[in-house]
Amino acid sequence: MKLTALVRELERILGREAVLWGPDDLMLYEYDGLSALHPPDVVVFPRTTVEVVQIVKFAASQKLLVVPRGAGTGLSGGSIPWQGGILIAFARMKDILEIDLENQRARVQPGVVNLDLSLAVSDAGYYYAPDPSSQKACTLGGNVAENAGGPHTLLHGVTTNHVLGLEVVLPSGEVIHTGGEFWDVPGYDLTGLLVGSEGTLGIVTEITVRLMRKAESVATLLAVYDRIIDATRTVAAITARGITPAALEMIDGFTLRAIEEATHAGYPMDSAAVLLIEVEGLKEAVEENALHIESVCKENRARHVRRAKSAEERDLLWKGRKNAFGALGRISPSYYVQDGVIPRTRLPEMLEFIGQIGTKYGVKIGNIFHAGDGNLHPIILFDPRDEDESRRVREAAAEILTKCIDMGGSITGEHGVGIEKINLMPFLFSADDLDVMRKIKGVFNSEGRFNPGKVLPTGKMCGELRASVSPGGVL
Amino acid sequence: MTTAVESVHWALAEIVGEARVVSEPTACAARAVAGRVPRHIVDTPTAESVAAVLKFASDHDLAVIPHGNGTKLALGCPPSRYDLALSLKDLNPVRHYEPADLTISVEAGMKLGDLQDFLGRDGLWLPLDPRGGANATIGGILATNSAGPLRLRFGSARDMVLGIKVATTEGKLIKSGGRVVKNVAGYDLCKLLVGSYGTLGVIVEASLKLFPRPASRATWVLEPGTLGLARDLRRRILDSPLEPLRMALLNAEASGLLWNGPHSGDALGVELWIEAGGTPSILERHAKDLAEMGRSVGVRSRLVSGQAAENCWFRFINFEQLFADSFPEVLVLKASLPLASSEQFLSLAQQGAEGEKVKMACFAQVGISIVHLGLWGDSLGEVADRLVTITRKAAESLGGALVVEQYPNGFNGERDVWGAPGDSLETMRRLKAAWDPKGVLSPGRFVGGI
Repeated sequence: MKLTALVRELERILGREAVLWGPDDLMLYEYDGLSALHPPDVVVFPRTTVEVVQIVKFAASQKLLVVPRGAGTGLSGGSIPWQGGILIAFARMKDILEIDLENQRARVQPGVVNLDLSLAVSDAGYYYAPDPSSQKACTLGGNVAENAGGPHTLLHGVTTNHVLGLEVVLPSGEVIHTGGEFWDVPGYDLTGLLVGSEGTLGIVTEITVRLMRKAESVATLLAVYDRIIDATRTVAAITARGITPAALEMIDGFTLRAIEEATHAGYPMDSAAVLLIEVEGLKEAVEENALHIESVCKENRARHVRRAKSAEERDLLWKGRKNAFGALGRISPSYYVQDGVIPRTRLPEMLEFIGQIGTKYGVKIGNIFHAGDGNLHPIILFDPRDEDESRRVREAAAEILTKCIDMGGSITGEHGVGIEKINLMPFLFSADDLDVMRKIKGVFNSEGRFNPGKVLPTGKMCGELRASVSPGGVL
Repeated sequence: MTTAVESVHWALAEIVGEARVVSEPTACAARAVAGRVPRHIVDTPTAESVAAVLKFASDHDLAVIPHGNGTKLALGCPPSRYDLALSLKDLNPVRHYEPADLTISVEAGMKLGDLQDFLGRDGLWLPLDPRGGANATIGGILATNSAGPLRLRFGSARDMVLGIKVATTEGKLIKSGGRVVKNVAGYDLCKLLVGSYGTLGVIVEASLKLFPRPASRATWVLEPGTLGLARDLRRRILDSPLEPLRMALLNAEASGLLWNGPHSGDALGVELWIEAGGTPSILERHAKDLAEMGRSVGVRSRLVSGQAAENCWFRFINFEQLFADSFPEVLVLKASLPLASSEQFLSLAQQGAEGEKVKMACFAQVGISIVHLGLWGDSLGEVADRLVTITRKAAESLGGALVVEQYPNGFNGERDVWGAPGDSLETMRRLKAAWDPKGVLSPGRFVGGI
């Protein structure tokens, strides 16, 4: 179909103001948090499920590709229209449809920004638990697609543990409803299958989530270390005491100096690492756990442990953590964030390994990550104009992720496979495992028109890819 | 044995060894599901042999029902056909355990009680209190996503599974997820398989997230007397900062059965149970706040602790045993409702029961709004149908759903175990066909005849 005819038809369905197709406009949609570039043919902005269905049915009739996009904060290229097609942007489907505190749930459109939902119920004492670092910008639809995490998911679980039901448009244009407003809806747990399927099975147009009551008391501690290894050892020591903090984050000295310069969060400039630890619950439990944690940190040679004395101080410590990527952006032309996961007891060994990899490839690697659940975010700084450096970054990244797999871990904890890690899937999964996933994809998206080129390597690719480890081949 | 039965017997013996295949009709009768007797019982020794048996069954179009210890085998519709009872109870070793990581990998036949004993040495547990208690196997718990009232605090099996290994009808062993607590690589087949009632594949191994065991626990029993007051109290507790581990609501008949034993027949009052766990200061706080909340509406609270409390919760969770000991015929229903609707559903169900002149005991997991009802009476067989319709309508009118867990033995009407499927049934059917194209796994037992 010719572009002009395509645009004319979409404008007929949605109105002229809901369709973008000029090259300058499309440029804004050719990337997300991964710096891979490919523009869509056209961008559309539906307001309702009915409009999404019309777009999808039209695409089906013309065999066109369809890619959904929230805020474009994803880090694995999940919303990049890698092969062109219609990009459905959810910026106008941003209504909170229902808040029902007595049933502790909310029903939202996919374009609602994560933090906006928590703010909407905050005065009543509730919040939505999963809190990705990008929560000020990222949308709940994107969170569902990627099964997003965040620092506070250590205690409360990730997106999939908080989504009760979905309205989904399938590639045929058929609409299905999965789950519901209660547990144990009879039938297969399609909600659980769809969360984290990265837009390759269906497009979510409505989400029912669980809201949680805010804890009575919170303590936020900053433990400062002179050696990274002592900080990493503290992590398993805390869980060994029977304490599950609400959040347990580690920031290495290099990264926290960059943050401090950008945010002035009050992090010590001369330390090798800090742990940002939060406990919440009944005030009795919080007091006891905060004391236990303080002593565990000291036993593991923390230089000192500071407890936030006010809500402002707490917010500032978290602001520093959540703005870390931006802070690193100030000191490097570009960076590559990884998302490997390892058993938390292997952290000391892994951090040492990452240090060695930095030296081996001559690249600077910062570490800021969800230590409590072993979810690493090594951040490799580089200049994309320097081809040799870019190659070294790719090789360093591949070695780190291979190590994660060797340790019994995973290549991604919360950012998704997307385009970025598709080549690594055959290292984590056998041909039989991938074959079953392909069959499942076939059930929903048999023509492969929904978000093509994501998550699953094509059958042909497997053999070649096993021969060449190359994550971030699209850096 | 007929020639056909004999040839299957020897073919299975080839896979698992002669001692592990039983084809005697009397022995097979012991594994009947809803009156249907299998032709063979196969005790698989390894994950690989499960896969091989499934492939054989699929190739020869033999219907298979997998089971662990059989504690939940009665759930679901009667099978449309049944040839092989596939026993997984011998798949029970711990495959991987790292206490400091709070993860464990076990095979499907591991009994929950054995797992808890094993973890107890390190002060850990898997915080699940499903039906069947210690005898329930991990595989069975996962296949039915069976959870008890602890779900209020810890979620269900669905939330604790990090990874699974599954035997498929193609004879393959495939995995999803892994051993780490956070993982989004590939589709989450764990969610799809958990709660699929053995209709897609057979879970042979699972990696699970563990939790530190609370230092101590205590249960308070409040006697609000009426459902209305029970609802007010439940609301106040859920809206307070307290963090109960479990909550339960029992109507007068249920508390009578539970405290006075099956044969007394005396009803007591409506009761609300709250269990908390943690250090002494946390338990004291719960005691104080609960007493205050009760006092403000004139309701006293009493403490039950130690083994006595554990026994009460066990009887609550395994309430069907109370019925089995008490009445020849019983209809057992499970309603899943939006969080705040348990009490309203109960009063609707109570009206329905009175209208049909049957008695009703209610064991409700309030806080998660899973309500179990047991109904009994002289003309139960004749009115069971209507009772299902009335209570299902009540649940659906409140935005919930109703599943029949047990029909009375004498029931001859049409069984509608799962209720009307929603608009995703076609997708579910296609998933079933992708996993089990010949339809040999637990055929006819699941939603929409899957």
